[in-house]
Amino acid sequence: CMVATARGTVSTSDLLDRVSEHSDMIHSLSTILSQDLDSQLPPVGRMLLPRPSMCHTSSLQTPMDKEQALQISKSDLLSLARSLLHAWADPLLFLSTSAMTLPQLAQSSVSNKIQELKQHSQTLGDGLNILSDRMGQAAQAISSLPYSGGNDLGQDKISKLINLHFLLSCFRRDSHKIDSFLKVLRCRMANMVPEMC
Amino acid sequence: FSLNAEGTTHSLPGKPTLIRCRSPEKETFTCWWEPGSDGGLPTTYALYYRKENSDTVYECPDYQTAGENSCFFNKNNTSIWVNYNITVVATNELGSTFSDSVDVDVVYIVKPNPPEKLRVVIMEDNGYPFLRVSWEPPHKADTRSGWITLIYEIRVKLEGRNDWEVHLAGQQKMFNIFSLRSGGTYLVQVRCKPDHGFWSEWSSPSQVQVPEYFHQEKSMWIT
Repeated sequence: CMVATARGTVSTSDLLDRVSEHSDMIHSLSTILSQDLDSQLPPVGRMLLPRPSMCHTSSLQTPMDKEQALQISKSDLLSLARSLLHAWADPLLFLSTSAMTLPQLAQSSVSNKIQELKQHSQTLGDGLNILSDRMGQAAQAISSLPYSGGNDLGQDKISKLINLHFLLSCFRRDSHKIDSFLKVLRCRMANMVPEMC
Repeated sequence: FSLNAEGTTHSLPGKPTLIRCRSPEKETFTCWWEPGSDGGLPTTYALYYRKENSDTVYECPDYQTAGENSCFFNKNNTSIWVNYNITVVATNELGSTFSDSVDVDVVYIVKPNPPEKLRVVIMEDNGYPFLRVSWEPPHKADTRSGWITLIYEIRVKLEGRNDWEVHLAGQQKMFNIFSLRSGGTYLVQVRCKPDHGFWSEWSSPSQVQVPEYFHQEKSMWIT
């Protein structure tokens, strides 16, 4: 379902339901994609994978457990989710074009799934923008996390696979964060109707 | 290896294997290992871990809580969205053998406990009985705050049969089952799956006997 409905016509709780449907889907897709790529990566490639701290979003301070997550304000939860999603706009675009240059992936469902990821992320971003407009000034803040990984996956097949795998594993973690923040936010906003959560 | 006075062979411990890690609620987790072959000598096991972005190596905080050959990480020792690099070391008087190390991020190993307080009651609709199955989420899973979201699956079997009838209940904690065999005894179980993770085991079964109700229907045909 599309979130881009005219402002004011969708209740905030419906909007939160819809955005968390998209974030859930995005994380599930990224999990499937990581597993697809994992099966293609030769053991030597696994040893060469960059560490997660090399992800371009790793400098963003995010909670490390439930206790910390539940202490964050509603507007900060939304800011974190938006900052992360925003940081992936460019790399997702890059991923979707470069996956085509890998012959063994172009034919598989991998590049289709990356397209799907891109579309869901776009829709989620639209939904989160509407939400942040409604939540006022504090929810507008966004951290800049520029992607400087360049627009080249590498020369040979192995290094392309490694870089693709690495990017997707970063995205997998970040999409899990986005999904978790939004679901906590959804329940926080729905505390009038405790049956929902 | 070496020979002792009695002539038995002693050797280094065999290589232990980390078999699995599991978090029931995204707040704590446990890892289990399998000892390697016995080196013929008393062997001790230790689990060491290092968190992503840190060079400090820590030893397992709790070998007791989760039973033999396990390490339990409580809430204070559990972070998410961080890889734990885990290794088990078996040691006897001749030396140590290391397991292969495993990278674990707690968010990818969530498998909840089964749902609790399963209740099956017989209700009636227009003279036909049906089962109303209800349950509660596992008490450890914090579904209230949205930290974990669970969906449920129910299965029902007529006693003595092999085939289960399976129903997906979504996020509901109640489900009705119709078309029951008159006088039949049914077994009902429920399990749950987090938004991202694995199905729990099935809950222990609840058994219920459906009252005889065909007579009513037959008498309608006769009259």
